[in-house]
Amino acid sequence: MVPYQCIQVCERSTNGSHEWILVGASGSKLVIQSSNGATRTWAGEDKYMNLKENETEEPPEKKVKLSSPNEYSPTFSCLAISNDKQYVVAVTAEDKCVRVFQINSDYHLHEISQRCMARRPCAIALTSDDSTILCADKFGDVYALPLISPAEDVHHESLADEPNEAATQKQFVPAASLLTVHSGRNRKVLEEQIKLASKGRMKTKEPLQFKHELLLGHVSMLTDVVYTTVSGRNYILTSDRDEHIRVSRGPPQAHIIECFCQGHEEFVSKLCLTTSGFLISGGGDPYLCVWDWLKGRLLEKICIRTAVITFLGEQPELASTLPHNTEGFKIAISGIWSTPRNYNEVNEVLVVCEGVPAFFYVRLESPAVVETVPLNGNALDIAFISASESICTAVVAVDHMHKPWFTTERRADEGRGRLQCFECRDGRWGQDRKLESELEWFSRRAPDTDGERRDAGPALLADDSVRARQKDEKAFRDVLYGVEKLRKRSGADEQD
Amino acid sequence: MPGEPAKRQKREQYKKSLTTDESKHASLPQKKFYRQRAHANPFSDHLLTYPISPEQMDWSTHYPAYTIRNDKEENVTGDSHDQVETRSANGMKKKVEIADIGCGFGGLLFALAPMFPETLILGIEIRTSVTEYVQEKVRALRTQNKDTGGFQNASCIRANSMKFLPNFFFKAQLGKIFLCFPDPHFKQRKHKARIVSYTLNSEYAYVLRPGGIVYTITDVEDLHNWMVEHFERHPSFERLGEEEQENEECVAVMRSETEEGKKVERNKGQKFVALFRRLDDPPWPSEH
Ligand SMILES: C[S@@+](CC[C@H](N)C(=O)[O-])C[C@H]1O[C@@H](n2cnc3c(N)ncnc32)[C@H](O)[C@@H]1O
Repeated sequence: MVPYQCIQVCERSTNGSHEWILVGASGSKLVIQSSNGATRTWAGEDKYMNLKENETEEPPEKKVKLSSPNEYSPTFSCLAISNDKQYVVAVTAEDKCVRVFQINSDYHLHEISQRCMARRPCAIALTSDDSTILCADKFGDVYALPLISPAEDVHHESLADEPNEAATQKQFVPAASLLTVHSGRNRKVLEEQIKLASKGRMKTKEPLQFKHELLLGHVSMLTDVVYTTVSGRNYILTSDRDEHIRVSRGPPQAHIIECFCQGHEEFVSKLCLTTSGFLISGGGDPYLCVWDWLKGRLLEKICIRTAVITFLGEQPELASTLPHNTEGFKIAISGIWSTPRNYNEVNEVLVVCEGVPAFFYVRLESPAVVETVPLNGNALDIAFISASESICTAVVAVDHMHKPWFTTERRADEGRGRLQCFECRDGRWGQDRKLESELEWFSRRAPDTDGERRDAGPALLADDSVRARQKDEKAFRDVLYGVEKLRKRSGADEQD
Repeated sequence: MPGEPAKRQKREQYKKSLTTDESKHASLPQKKFYRQRAHANPFSDHLLTYPISPEQMDWSTHYPAYTIRNDKEENVTGDSHDQVETRSANGMKKKVEIADIGCGFGGLLFALAPMFPETLILGIEIRTSVTEYVQEKVRALRTQNKDTGGFQNASCIRANSMKFLPNFFFKAQLGKIFLCFPDPHFKQRKHKARIVSYTLNSEYAYVLRPGGIVYTITDVEDLHNWMVEHFERHPSFERLGEEEQENEECVAVMRSETEEGKKVERNKGQKFVALFRRLDDPPWPSEH
């Protein structure tokens, strides 16, 4: 049983009655529990149904995986729920795949599409009309994919950044002649190209067999993408591993950059709009930034690091791990959530930092207030259930597998729950035991499928599987704790 | 550059002599001490320094003749209105309006400086030594032209233009961008490393003012076609016609004064030129 790396709540009213559905990704499985007690697990039952022809033409490495289905279980890295509450959009990391699931009336998830991208998606968002998935990737590009892929769309448009794609069938023509002036290295590449072309072995990239449109791109790994509408104008906000936050127009004018929000000194990992429209961003800096993002104006920086240091210092078992001099102490903000709209209209967010067993309740008053709510394990994700007009309930996914404040060391007592629930009354967060016990199955028992390879002890497995398992574990840990890794190491890759 | 210790030592001695030895202030730097491996990876985290935003860029060391505090008279007369202006321009009388991206050893930069004596021109180069060479040459030329104040309007920074243009320039700040003989990155896998792409063109459009122009030139026909295709596809740009292009005063200079242009000339290679104008942004979709 592994922790929930992502959770989402889908709240909807059907036939006049209100219900919520909690969706969690635990490793390579999706787990569901609804307010009326239904429990479901998706463990990839129908994952081979939708394989399209081109996917069998993948490099041999992948083919092997496909032919031994037991070992093919990619880890979920992103979850989103459509605005109409009918679909779950998810990303699996190892196969770079965007998957769309329909939430059936009996709460079963039905996978309706798998679209494997050329580069790993790092964040996704949906347009407000649910027509389009915005997929932000590791190489800095944002693609638009239709949520529901049209049936006969083999004739996709070619990528704007790869005009050569349309011409892949054409005979390869070297990009320059040897007469032109080049550096030695370019010349070698060119000679190599000519040689390969003469042998007719010039490899060109397989085009993706589904509709995908390049909207915009940074020259840096993207970390988050947000779609929003203000006074009838649509915007796409993107953040990257350098310090950039870019504000672009929404499609069909996504090529126009309206402004940048400049103020971060380290990578940005998360963007969050508050209920009244401010943008809050965080990442490798000690602080959150608060923006009047339409103007690219930095309004305020709110220090989170101090709260983290104070919190750790107060924990008897953690205080000793704090460095003497906390000046260079680094935090990596890994999550920011605005409390739901129907709760109230103030600017407040919950914030979590990678590997920190607490969440931080931040109210944008003057001055800003940061309160700390301790957790049983490192905070992984948060989702909200709006139980009533005045009460806001937060479901927090915690890491029950690793020691609090550690990202690799396993703990001895893995039996604890993977969820903690809190409700906020009059600005105070208190544990919600009732909801916690309602979610008992989700928290402690799901997914209840047989023969879980990932959980079997290494001793029980053949060598190959051990290796597969170790690979799985690494992929999983990267999904759980990938934020601090975004920090640039000084001196790395210096070319001089 | 790694190089053998002896070579490195020679370079360092030479470079030091340029700054310490008064008599050398006016002598042009020698290229051989500044050569550097041809390719730098635009994706990697070089040890780059760049301002958080254009407001925080200190241009005064690059264009000392254009700083406001250098010019006492103007500083004193400043009424409150002037002061607002002062602050918004980082203490500078002018902003950079011409950028030579990937300027190499600066041939074009030094040809443009006397052509636009009233305009600040900036070379942007990712390779450290090459940037140093250009900076030394700026220093020498300024010394040589003390009487006329020549070359006070030219400078060079080390930066990765593919990542950090918006850190140096405000929206619509530039009037001209030169992309001369960019590295071709033949391998398809490396096409995203090209300095022109549909997505990067959005950043050029951001820093260029409407009506501003991107100048491109290359000896690699495939790269020329690529640049044309990617700019023509981008709705913020339109290509200039043949006649308009040849009437542009910078085109001849770009052909003849860039270092690469000269090399191609010697090898009797072809040069492909294309210019693109930054168009006005259209109204928002819902507001036609
Ligand atoms: C082939 S040279 C051309 C030099 C000069 N423009 C000329 O025409 O002679 C290309 C130059 O671009 C520089 N360059 C490449 N990528 C760059 C980047 N991302 N930012 C700044 N300079 C870059 C290289 O270091 C190299 O000096």
